[in-house]
Amino acid sequence: MRWIIEIIIAHRNISSLLLTVSLSLAMISAGPEAQSKVIRYLNFSLYYPAFATVSQITRFGNVYSENTRLKHELAQTNARLHQIEDQSIENRRLRGLLGVIEDSPYELVPVRVVAYDPSHLSKSIVVSGGKNHDIVPFMPLVAEHGAVGKVIQVMSNISLVQLLRDPFSRTSVMCRRTRAVGIMETENSRDFFIRMRSHEDVHTADTIVTAGLGGIYPKGLLVGTVSKISDDKNSLFKRVYINFTVDFGKLEELFVIRLAPQWSAFRDELDSLKIKHDK
Amino acid sequence: MTNKTFKWIGWFLLCIVLQSTVIPHISIFSIKPDLLLLALFLMSTKAGVMAGVYVGFFLGLGQDLFSPEILGQNALAKTVVGFFAGLFNERVMRMDPVTQAALLIVVFLMNDALIMAVQIVKTGGEAHIVLGELLMVTLPRAIYSLLLAMLPFVWENVIQPVRR
Repeated sequence: MRWIIEIIIAHRNISSLLLTVSLSLAMISAGPEAQSKVIRYLNFSLYYPAFATVSQITRFGNVYSENTRLKHELAQTNARLHQIEDQSIENRRLRGLLGVIEDSPYELVPVRVVAYDPSHLSKSIVVSGGKNHDIVPFMPLVAEHGAVGKVIQVMSNISLVQLLRDPFSRTSVMCRRTRAVGIMETENSRDFFIRMRSHEDVHTADTIVTAGLGGIYPKGLLVGTVSKISDDKNSLFKRVYINFTVDFGKLEELFVIRLAPQWSAFRDELDSLKIKHDK
Repeated sequence: MTNKTFKWIGWFLLCIVLQSTVIPHISIFSIKPDLLLLALFLMSTKAGVMAGVYVGFFLGLGQDLFSPEILGQNALAKTVVGFFAGLFNERVMRMDPVTQAALLIVVFLMNDALIMAVQIVKTGGEAHIVLGELLMVTLPRAIYSLLLAMLPFVWENVIQPVRR
């Protein structure tokens, strides 16, 4: 046995050649089944681990570009998500407004808020609807949760709206439960109250609606709820503070109530006053 | 493993990458240079018979696994070629560039002849087409590979001296 090893070592070049050529010839002469077995075995033991290692290395190399791509995709997805959330909120709001349209006994003209009064507590807004939409001054506006204000100036396609919370609005309102009527006032442009007689039975959380007096707002439009009741300087009266149901800082879609028959007489009167003034 | 071994492994890996990426784009009339055979030739002439035989065997086996037409045909061809090129080891004899070029062409012819011989034996092909294949495919491939191999030689011995 030793002499064989010695011969192999002495003629290692030829021995190596014979060994590798023999292996090659064995592989060549093997049948297709044996060949496929050898290929499968060698692939599993040599090729795939090597490929796995190379692919791991290249994966590390691709981490930076993948990270950049994923960041880009994340930004895009976030933008899309915000867009969808906005659309979902708008959808909910519009569904609510649709309910307003269906439930309303009045003819409603949908408008959008296009500008706010730049003051801290905005008292007026501009909406997208004017003469071309048959909107005339003093038409009231409502939102999903109640009365908003009235149109005070009309142009071709936009109108100026005086909000309920304008101190000069002085809207006549009443308690829905007791039918006690009063005029909405404010002293600081923030807290609105109704001066009511002391004996009126009004409680907190009572609903306040428009009284329908003055010919501008129809009776029964939701205005707010009673938040607190306090004594007035004049002991004959008490102050009933109102919490508006409409959030005047987040107005988007509104409806102008078209009350033409109710307004025609009033408008004629206004027109005649204007003519007199012009003269 | 020595630095030389790592260097050669690096060269072979580079050749494998180039062979599958760049080389297909520089083929002329479907004739592509064979960088692996070129690398095997250069390695065998520098490192000797033993390295030539084993590197040739495993290189050929790798090719066989990659495209398993007849398992062992590339292993056999590359082993014999590695052995043959190893006989002309630079440590044993010095060769001028012309002899080296001629030897490279012989190596190419030997490699393809062995592969075709195995194919004829295994699949029962016709022997007379071997000569035609060797002349029409192998020889241009060998010359193209030789031109590619000459680029570093020309750069070092012709262009650089002129620039200096």
